[in-house]
Amino acid sequence: MCCRIGHLLIAVALLSAWLMGCRPAAQAPVTLTIIMEEVPDTDVVRKLLPDFEKENPGIKVDIDAMPYDAMRDKILASFMAPKATYDVIIVDNPWMDEFVAGNFLEPLDDRIRGIPDYDFEDFVGPVREIGVVGGKVYGIPFYNYAVGLIVRQDLFDDPAYREAYQKKYGKPLAPPTTLEDYLRVAQFFKEQSGGKIYGAAMQPQRGYKVFEEWKNWLYAAGGNLLDEQGNVIIDRPEAVRALELYIEMYKTAAPPNSLNWGFDEALRAMAAGEAATMMSYNWMLPTLNNPQGPAGALAGKFALYEVPGGKAVLGAWHWAIPRNAPNKDASWRFISWLTSKRMEKQRVILGGAPVRVSAMKDPEVWQKGFGQAYYETVLKILEDAEPLARGPKAEEIIQVVGTELNAAVAGEKTAEQALKDAAAQVRKILGK
Amino acid sequence: MGRRDRALGRRLLLPLLGLLALVQGYPIVFAAYISFHDYRLTALDQVRWVGLAQYQGLADNPSYWTAMTNTLIFVGGAVTLELLLGLALALLLHRPVPGQNAFRAVVLMPMFITPIAVGLMFRFLLNSQLGIIPVALRSIGVEIDWFGPDLALFSLILIDVWQWTPLMTLFLLAGLEALPTEPFEAARVDGASGFQILRHLTLPLLRPVILAAVLIRMLDAFRIFEYVYAITRGGPGERTETILFHIYRVGFLYFRLGEAAAMAFTLALVILILVVVLFYILRRQEAWA
Repeated sequence: MCCRIGHLLIAVALLSAWLMGCRPAAQAPVTLTIIMEEVPDTDVVRKLLPDFEKENPGIKVDIDAMPYDAMRDKILASFMAPKATYDVIIVDNPWMDEFVAGNFLEPLDDRIRGIPDYDFEDFVGPVREIGVVGGKVYGIPFYNYAVGLIVRQDLFDDPAYREAYQKKYGKPLAPPTTLEDYLRVAQFFKEQSGGKIYGAAMQPQRGYKVFEEWKNWLYAAGGNLLDEQGNVIIDRPEAVRALELYIEMYKTAAPPNSLNWGFDEALRAMAAGEAATMMSYNWMLPTLNNPQGPAGALAGKFALYEVPGGKAVLGAWHWAIPRNAPNKDASWRFISWLTSKRMEKQRVILGGAPVRVSAMKDPEVWQKGFGQAYYETVLKILEDAEPLARGPKAEEIIQVVGTELNAAVAGEKTAEQALKDAAAQVRKILGK
Repeated sequence: MGRRDRALGRRLLLPLLGLLALVQGYPIVFAAYISFHDYRLTALDQVRWVGLAQYQGLADNPSYWTAMTNTLIFVGGAVTLELLLGLALALLLHRPVPGQNAFRAVVLMPMFITPIAVGLMFRFLLNSQLGIIPVALRSIGVEIDWFGPDLALFSLILIDVWQWTPLMTLFLLAGLEALPTEPFEAARVDGASGFQILRHLTLPLLRPVILAAVLIRMLDAFRIFEYVYAITRGGPGERTETILFHIYRVGFLYFRLGEAAAMAFTLALVILILVVVLFYILRRQEAWA
C-alpha cells in the first residue's frame, strides 16, 4: 500500500515537472524596485505605470519615493550591497561622474543600439551630455530642472509701470536680458510699488541654492567655474562683478532678511504677489499659472523667459541601472519604454518636464500641455545650459562654493575675497 | 556568596556583554579603524592606511574649528538659558496653585514635538515675510533679522531653549518635590527671606539634580542637527555650521567616512573632557558644603 502511494506521488511529481517545463517561455514574474524623489514628476511616472505593466505582463514596478536628502545614501547603500536593493535608480547630475568613477553604473550603449527607433540623439544636447561619461552612456535623461526667469507678466504689461519706466530710463519696460537690466528693472518695481512688491525673490541659502542662482549671473557676466582646460577661473574679475551685482540686487531689490531663503520661500513670495521676478526651475511656471495651485487669483499672470544673458544653469535627473542590479534586462525594458518618444510625449502631456526635442516641438503636446510658447522657451533654455559642476567631486565643489557665496551675500567677506577663497578650495578639491 | 555562585553570575553576564560588544564595541572599533584609513565609500578598493593624517588634517581645517566653536557656543548658551528658565519655571510650578496639573501639562508640551518639525515651524514663524513673530515685532517698531549673520546661531539657541526648557523644568520639579520639608520649615521659623531660602537651602540641596539635568541636556545639545538642517544648512557662511552637521556633510555628502570618523572621535574627546570637568566642579562644591 505504502509503495503504491509512493509510486503515485513520484508519477504526479514527474507529471507536474513536465507540465511546468512545457509552459512556453513563461518568465518568473519580476518586480522592479525604483528609487525616486517625492516630487510631481514622480507622480506623472506613477500614472503611466499601469500602461507599462499591461504591455509587459511579466514585470511589476514598485516605486520607492522619498525626500531628496534621503536618496544619496540609500542609493550608495544599494551599490554596496551584494545584490542591489534598487533595480533602477535616478541620478541627480552632480552625482553622475562620481557614480561612474566608483564603477557603480552599467554602461547602456549596447542596449541603446539594440532599439533601432530609440533615437538617443533626440534628447536635447546639454541634458544628454550629462549622462555620457568618458564616451559611454550611463544615464538616460528623465526630466530637466533648468533655471529660467519667471516674471509677473501683468506687471510688465501694466500701463502705469510702463509709463513710469519709460519716463525714468527712456526705454520700454521689458523682461531683462542683461544683468544691469535685471538689476534696474527689479529696483524699479520695488521703488515704484512703494516697497510692496520686491523686484526679485532670491534664493541665497547656503550651499546648492545660492550657487544655483548665482551661476546664472556668472554665465551672464561671461564667467564660469572652470575653463575649457579645467582651470579654476571662479576668482576672475568677471566673476567678482557678477557677485557684486548679485549682492547689490539682494540688498536693494530682494525681500529683506531673506538670506536663508530657498526654493519654498521664493515660490511663496512669488505666489503671494510679493515679488515681480524670480530665477527658478522652468516648470514652476505651470505650477504658478494653475488656478488650483499656490498662486490662486494670480494664476495666469506669470510668464517664463530665458535668464538674463541667455545661458542657464542646468539640472537634470537621469535613469540608470546599477551594476549589481539582478534583472538588468527588465530594468532596461522599463527605462527604454518610459523614455521612448511615444511615452515621453505622454509624460510631458501629463505635466512632466521635457527632455526630448521631439516632444517640445510636438503640436499635440503644445495643445494638451501648457502651450507652444512655454515649450519653445523651455527648449531654448535647455539648448544653452550647463550644470553647476561636473566630475567626481561635483557635490563637494558645489557645497564649498555655495558656502563662500552665502558668506559674501551675508556681508561676512567681500565678493573678491569670497571668490578667492572659493577658488582656493576648489583647486584643493581638484588637486591642482 | 560561594565560588559557584560567582561563576554563575559571570556566566549570566555573558549574553549582555556579547550584545554590547556587538552593538557598541564593534562599531566603535570599526570607526577607530577607518579613522586611521583613507576610507571613502565611493572608492572602497583604494582604502589605505594613513595613520594620524586625518587627525592632523583637522588641525588646519578651518571649517572644522568653526563648527566646533559654534557647537560649544550653542551648547553653553542653550544649556545656561535652559537651566535659568527651567529653574524659574520649576519654582513657580512647585507652589500649590489652582490648575497646577494643567499648567504643568502645557509647559511640557514642546518637548513632545519632533525636533525637525520644530525646526520647520520656526523657519516659517521667524521668516521676515511670512512669519508671525517678525510681523508682531514690526508692529511695535522692532526689525530683527533672525537668520542674519549676527543672530542666526542665537536664534537656533532660542529655538532649543523653547523646546528643551520643559525637560529641565521636569527634572528640577521632580528634584524640588523630593526635597525634605523640615529644613524649609525651620528656616521660615528662623525668619529667613524667600531669597535666602533659595540661595542657602534650595540650590545647595538641589545641586545633584541640577548637575544631572545639565549633564543630560549638555550631551543632548551637542547633537544639535535638526534645526540647522531644517533652517540654515549651516549658513550664513559658516555661522551655524555645527560639528554634527559638518560630520554629516563630510561623511554622507562627500562619503569620506574615514575623515568623518576622525572628527567624531575628537568630538567624543571634547565631550568627555567637559563631563569630567563638570563632575570635578560638583565634587569640590560638595566638599565645601
